[in-house]
Amino acid sequence: MPESEANVSEPGSPVVEITRAFRFSAAHRLNNPRFSAAENRRIYGRCNNPNGHGHTYRLEVTIRGPVSSDTGWVEGGQTLEAVVRAAVLDRFDRANLDREIVSEDGPTGTTEVLAGLIWRLLDGNLPAECLCRLRLEETPNNFFEMDRTGLASFGGPKRK
Amino acid sequence: MIRLTKRVEFCAAHRYVNPRWSEEENRRVFGRDANPNGHGHNYVLEVTIQGEPSPDTGMVMDLKALKDLIVETVVDRFDHRHLNLDVPYFKEKIPTPENLAVVIWELLEPRLDGCRLDRIRLYEDESCFVEYAGERGERV
Repeated sequence: MPESEANVSEPGSPVVEITRAFRFSAAHRLNNPRFSAAENRRIYGRCNNPNGHGHTYRLEVTIRGPVSSDTGWVEGGQTLEAVVRAAVLDRFDRANLDREIVSEDGPTGTTEVLAGLIWRLLDGNLPAECLCRLRLEETPNNFFEMDRTGLASFGGPKRK
Repeated sequence: MIRLTKRVEFCAAHRYVNPRWSEEENRRVFGRDANPNGHGHNYVLEVTIQGEPSPDTGMVMDLKALKDLIVETVVDRFDHRHLNLDVPYFKEKIPTPENLAVVIWELLEPRLDGCRLDRIRLYEDESCFVEYAGERGERV
């Protein structure tokens, strides 16, 4: 059947989102060196404890695209787990986020900032424009979500 | 406008095979999912509808009626079946969670009256789910 004819007789491919969930455990401390010790304690409270603390983070990564008629899959879904493992989990899991992930002159490693960092790490390793949403749970009660619309203005608080 | 979601579960077997490809090609693309003897999942299906609450009942749709509709149109057809062998929609389509979500949308959407289907979310397991909201793009 000629392609033009097929296009007329059949609707387009359904656009589906696929989400995979992961966990990693890491330590951090919320502290901005531009602020005094008293100011840091006032703003970040218990999260400013000098010796740090940690979380078991839960990360949901959502990609979006048309379903292939050959495979029944959304492109990128098959490699999503390996990409997240290599780009994020292998670096973040069992790490001290302040010392090993967020550079000394970078922003304070809040979960908001981590979400933006994870977005940039994943986006370059997935098919173009297919990453559509991240959800990062610091605890079951606190979670942070971002999509492509939140990316342009994303920088996080400056430390210097 | 209010969204409401009903969650149901069903268990089914499936395998991934594209009949236009050789067995080697299927094995290369689909890996263990191409196992000819099949495997299975405990699926969790969330059906979200949207609409205005009725001034008489305060409900967008009676949750019991929504559950009955999902059981009749989806669960009774899919639960404890082999999707490739027992469910006619997957004679041609590969029963990936993506295609399952689309088929479930197409089964439910025309059966709703007085509210709209908002989204299908289908969990294959606790760490993987797909979502479909009726959107279509370019044909691929």
